[in-house]
Amino acid sequence: MTRKNWIPYLIKKLAIFLASVLALSVIVFAVSRLSPGDPLVSYYGERTEKMSPAERRQTMERLGLNAPLTTQYVRWLEGALRGEFGISYKYKQDVLDVIAARIGNTLLLGLPGFLLTFVLALLLGILCAWREESWLDKIISKAGTVLSCVPEFWLSLVLILFFSVIWRLLPSSGAYTIGKENDIGDRLRHLILPMAVMILSHLWYYAYMIRNKLLEEIRADYVLLAKSKGLSRGQILFRHCLRGILPSYISLMAISVPHILGGTYIIETVFSYPGIGTLSYESARWKDYNMLMVLCMLTGVVIIFANMLGQIINERIDPRIRASEGLEVPTNEP
Amino acid sequence: MSNLLEINDLSVSFDTPEGEVQAVRDVSLSLPEGKVLALVGESGCGKSVLCRSVMKLLPRTAKIKSGSIMADGVDITNYGERDMRKLRGRMFAMVFQDPMTTLNPVMPVGDQIAEAVRVHNRRISRTDAHRRAVEMMELVGIERAEERSRLYPYNFSGGMRQRSVMAIALASNPRILFADEPTTALDVTIQAQILDLFREIQATLHTATLFVTHDLGVVARVADLVAVMYAGRIVELGTVEDIFYDPRHPYTWGLLQALPAWSRGRDMLNAIPGMPPSLIHPPRGDAFACRNPYALGIDYLEQPPMFRISETHSAATWLLDPAAPKVQSPIHGGPHAEQ
Repeated sequence: MTRKNWIPYLIKKLAIFLASVLALSVIVFAVSRLSPGDPLVSYYGERTEKMSPAERRQTMERLGLNAPLTTQYVRWLEGALRGEFGISYKYKQDVLDVIAARIGNTLLLGLPGFLLTFVLALLLGILCAWREESWLDKIISKAGTVLSCVPEFWLSLVLILFFSVIWRLLPSSGAYTIGKENDIGDRLRHLILPMAVMILSHLWYYAYMIRNKLLEEIRADYVLLAKSKGLSRGQILFRHCLRGILPSYISLMAISVPHILGGTYIIETVFSYPGIGTLSYESARWKDYNMLMVLCMLTGVVIIFANMLGQIINERIDPRIRASEGLEVPTNEP
Repeated sequence: MSNLLEINDLSVSFDTPEGEVQAVRDVSLSLPEGKVLALVGESGCGKSVLCRSVMKLLPRTAKIKSGSIMADGVDITNYGERDMRKLRGRMFAMVFQDPMTTLNPVMPVGDQIAEAVRVHNRRISRTDAHRRAVEMMELVGIERAEERSRLYPYNFSGGMRQRSVMAIALASNPRILFADEPTTALDVTIQAQILDLFREIQATLHTATLFVTHDLGVVARVADLVAVMYAGRIVELGTVEDIFYDPRHPYTWGLLQALPAWSRGRDMLNAIPGMPPSLIHPPRGDAFACRNPYALGIDYLEQPPMFRISETHSAATWLLDPAAPKVQSPIHGGPHAEQ
C-alpha cells in the first residue's frame, strides 16, 4: 500500500471502530435496563425486600435510575467520555477499581491460554494434515472429538480429582497461596489446571478446522505445480498451503479473543479463580448496571479491535481481501 | 539423435472402489531431444495420466503395474519421492491445463517463479533469483515484468497467467517439458499466442516437449511427432506429415474427419459414434472396434500389434495385416486440417 492511501484507510477504520463502539453501548444499555430485575438487590442485598416504596423511590432517585432511559444514557455517556463509569452497586467502589483488581488474574490465565491454544491448534492441525489418514491422525481426531465434547466443568472436576485430591500435585483453587502473592512459581502452579482445561476444551475445535482446511488446500491445483517445480511436501505445506488458510484461521481466532475476558467464567468458578469472568456473570445476573456496561464495552472493544487487527493482517497475507473491498485495485490488462 | 525420454510397455492403474482402472496400457513412446511430441486423444484416454506418471505426480491410488521409464538413459521407474524431487524442475517440468487455478493465489507471481529458480540451487541469492524471475517473465512475453512480478495472479489475465506458469516451468532449465492441454482453458486468440510462444521457446531453448491435446489443429501448429491415444493405448505413431497426410488407423481417420474444416459447407459436423469404453473392464480385442465402421472380426477377439509402416510411422490396427481386406482411407482427397 502506498503512503498516500494509508491515511484515509486509517481514518476509515477508526470511524468504523468508533461507530461500532457507540452502537454497542446503546444496545447494551437498552437491553440491560429493559430486561426484568431489580438493581437495588445488588446494592442492598436482602434488605431490599424490607424497603418501603418511599425508600425505594428515594434510593432509585439517588442512583439516578428514575430518569427517562435517554437521559440516563446521555448521563452515562457524558461520564464515560470523562472516564467516569460510576460505581459498582455490589462492591460500592468505582467499577474501574473493582475490575483493575481482577483483570490481571484474568489476563494471566486468558492471554497465555489463548496464545497457546492458537499455536497448539495450528501445530496439531498441521500434524494431522501432514499424516493424513495415518493411525496418528485417526487417534488424534477421535480423541480430539471426544475431548471437545466433554463439558468444561466436568473436565475441571476430573483434573482436580486426580491432580489435587489423589496425587496432591497441584492446588485446586485460587490464584495464589495466601501470603505468597508475589511468588511467581506459586502463581504458575495455580495456573496449570485452569489453563489446561481452557486449552484442552477448545484445542480440537480449531485444530480440526486447520486440518480440514489444509487438506482441502493440499488438493488444490497449485500444489501440483508447486510439486512439479521440485518442492518438497514440507515446503509446499508451509510456504504455500498454510498461507492460503491463515486468513480464515486468523478471522476465527479474532472472534474468539473475548474468551480471554469473559469466556473463562466456568473455569474461574470451578477453580475459585478471582478473575473478571465471574464478575461479568454476576453483574448481568444482579443488574449491576455500571459494572455490566464497562465489562460489555470492554469485551466489545476487544472483539472489534481484534477483528480489525485480524483483517489488517489478512489483507497483508491475501491482497484479494482488500481488492474485494474496492480499495486499491491495480488495473493490469495486457 | 538420442531419445531423452523413453517409455517402454508402461501400464498404470488406479485402485478405485469400483475396481482397477487401467488408465495407461502398454504404452511405448520415445521423445527425442529437441522435438515436440503431441499426444492426442479424447478426454479420459490416459494422456494426462501418462505425463503425470512420468513425473510421479499421480495420487497414491495410482500404481505403475509394469514397464519402464528411462529419462536421459537412467531408469527412473522405481524412483521414490526424494529422487523424483531432484528431477522435477530440472529434468522435467509441467505446464498445466487451467492457469486460473495452477498459480498460488496468495503469493506474488514473481515469488512463485523465483521459488522455482532457487529450489535446486540454494546458493542463488533472493535478489538474483528475483532478477532471474523477471528475465523469465520477459522471455515468455510479459511486458513490464519488473513491476508485474510483484503482482498476484488475480491481477493477471488468463493468457498472462499461462505465460507465468510457463516461466515457472522453464525456470530451472528443464530438459523435458510436459504441456498438459496448456491452451484448452484459454480463448482462441490467446490460444494462438501461447502456441506460438511454445514454438518460439522450443526454437530457442531446444526443450524436448510432450504436448498433450485433444485438438488436432493445435497439433498441426506445434508438433514434430504425433502419438494418437485411445483407451489407454497408443494406436498410431508418426511424424506430423505421416498423421495428417497418410493416417492409417480408423480412429485417426475419425479424429481428422471430426475437425470442423472437414465439414465445411455441410450442415452437420462429423463425429465418431459411441463413447470410449470404461477402463475398469476394457473390452477384449481392439478397444475401438465397436465404434469402428471398418472393424474386422478379429478386432473383437485380439488386440492388434503395432504394425510398422515406415521408419517413423506405425499403427495398431488389423487393417495393416497382410491378410486384411484393402480399405481406402476416407482421408484421401478430403480437406487437410489447417494445411
